[in-house]
Amino acid sequence: MIEVVDIHKRYRGRSVLNGASFTVEKGQITCLIGINGAGKSTILKAIMGLTPLKSGTIRIDGQPMDKNLYESIAFIPDHLTMPPGMKLSEGLRFMQDFYQSWNANRAEELMKFFSLDQTERIGNLSRGTAAKFNLVLGLAQDTEYVLMDEPFSGIDMFSRGLIAEVFSSHLIEDRGVLLTTHEIGEVEHLIDRALLMKDGAICRDFQCEQIRSEEGKSIVDVMREVYQA
Amino acid sequence: MNRYLKLVHMEVDRFKYILAGLMSLTLICQFGAVIWWTKSAVSNRESGAWNNGGSMAYSLNPSHNGNLSFTEVISNTQFLFMIPILISIGVLAIYVFLIWYRDWFGRNTFIYRLLTLPIARRHIYFAKLTAILLFIFGLVSFQLALIPVEKLIFNLIVPSDMRDPSYISNSIYANPALGMLIPWHFDSFLVYYVIGIIAVLVIFAAILIERSYGRLGILYAILYLGISAFLLLFPMVGLGLDNLNGYLYPNEIFAIELVMCVAVMAVSVWLGCRLISKKITV
Repeated sequence: MIEVVDIHKRYRGRSVLNGASFTVEKGQITCLIGINGAGKSTILKAIMGLTPLKSGTIRIDGQPMDKNLYESIAFIPDHLTMPPGMKLSEGLRFMQDFYQSWNANRAEELMKFFSLDQTERIGNLSRGTAAKFNLVLGLAQDTEYVLMDEPFSGIDMFSRGLIAEVFSSHLIEDRGVLLTTHEIGEVEHLIDRALLMKDGAICRDFQCEQIRSEEGKSIVDVMREVYQA
Repeated sequence: MNRYLKLVHMEVDRFKYILAGLMSLTLICQFGAVIWWTKSAVSNRESGAWNNGGSMAYSLNPSHNGNLSFTEVISNTQFLFMIPILISIGVLAIYVFLIWYRDWFGRNTFIYRLLTLPIARRHIYFAKLTAILLFIFGLVSFQLALIPVEKLIFNLIVPSDMRDPSYISNSIYANPALGMLIPWHFDSFLVYYVIGIIAVLVIFAAILIERSYGRLGILYAILYLGISAFLLLFPMVGLGLDNLNGYLYPNEIFAIELVMCVAVMAVSVWLGCRLISKKITV
């Protein structure tokens, strides 16, 4: 379980995170929802140790973030994070060289699934193709958790379909997934749990199926209640 | 260790085309200079132009017997020998900054990946440092290897009866840039290169300060550069290493300078490793 407890962060004199607390369970797709600038990406970066916090704690399976935990948690940012001069095959090799959790067979399977050409240079990839390769790099690791930042942002309809397909496949099953988005329509049917952010904190935390069956509301309905109130 | 070496390999790989370009430029400029100047000097002598005062060496040294030496080639082709060396120093100086900033800027920010590798983050710092040192000493070694080949080319062009013997060490000091790159004494070599390495370490620390503290970081980084420069220069400038009338003995001032160098190096490395491990932000 990923535990985020009362985290605070200031950026350029503004309070970006203001006591956010939540957990991410294995076997669930949890979605962090908020308007632009709500601090969603900052939370993912903080979990990955990519930005220091003013206060608060983050634990992964009871442990504070440590280099060895990068073998059990994968991060898929909203852009590709490999040098543009590298070929896709070199990118895969790089991952294999550094991560013990790298699963070469799964990488092969994903490359075929997304019809990616290994001889292509990363700098020449279109935005959609780069997003697919980004998913390959994140999902081909045998990790317990996957963090995804805006996986559908700026991607064409057909690529979105393919990426959505991944969410309901064995590639995600049993893992704890935390994703951020402000385009909830794309993922509403895929997610188990929603965390709504407002003013740097979590203001609503609910199971999507439960709120649908008990209150007859969609995530968008709850978002309207929270953000238009 | 294995992953550190892989990081070093990756950093070298990313610079390989620029490094090859610098080496090619050095080779073309210096070989070109040797061939062009030697051929024209030989043809001048063969045509008798030298007797009419056509040689610079003759006008500088009237006792010159008219024969050519390799040292003479280097002293008469200063610009073409110096320009690739100065360009290489300039490119490496810029790359000390780019080796970090290229990972932050652009469409693909590689720093995300580097910082989330399952390795101690200080390996990233030391891999970049090692890569810079490899580029510096790689280019110096290449320059050292070129000189005997250039001498061989000179020997092939100039007939033996028109040749004066010369030592490679003398030839090196005929060009100030070469002389600075490969100093005469080993202690000078150590001083030049240790000062260079300290400068790289201080700049690395300043870059990481800037990357860790946002806009305020720019101010902190400039402050760090200023304090380091003051600490390194004060014993020499303020206490006067060359001043025999100073309050302290030159040996004492030298010891203070040495302590300052070690302190600035140690603080820069410690700060760099600490910032990349705890404070860095993407």
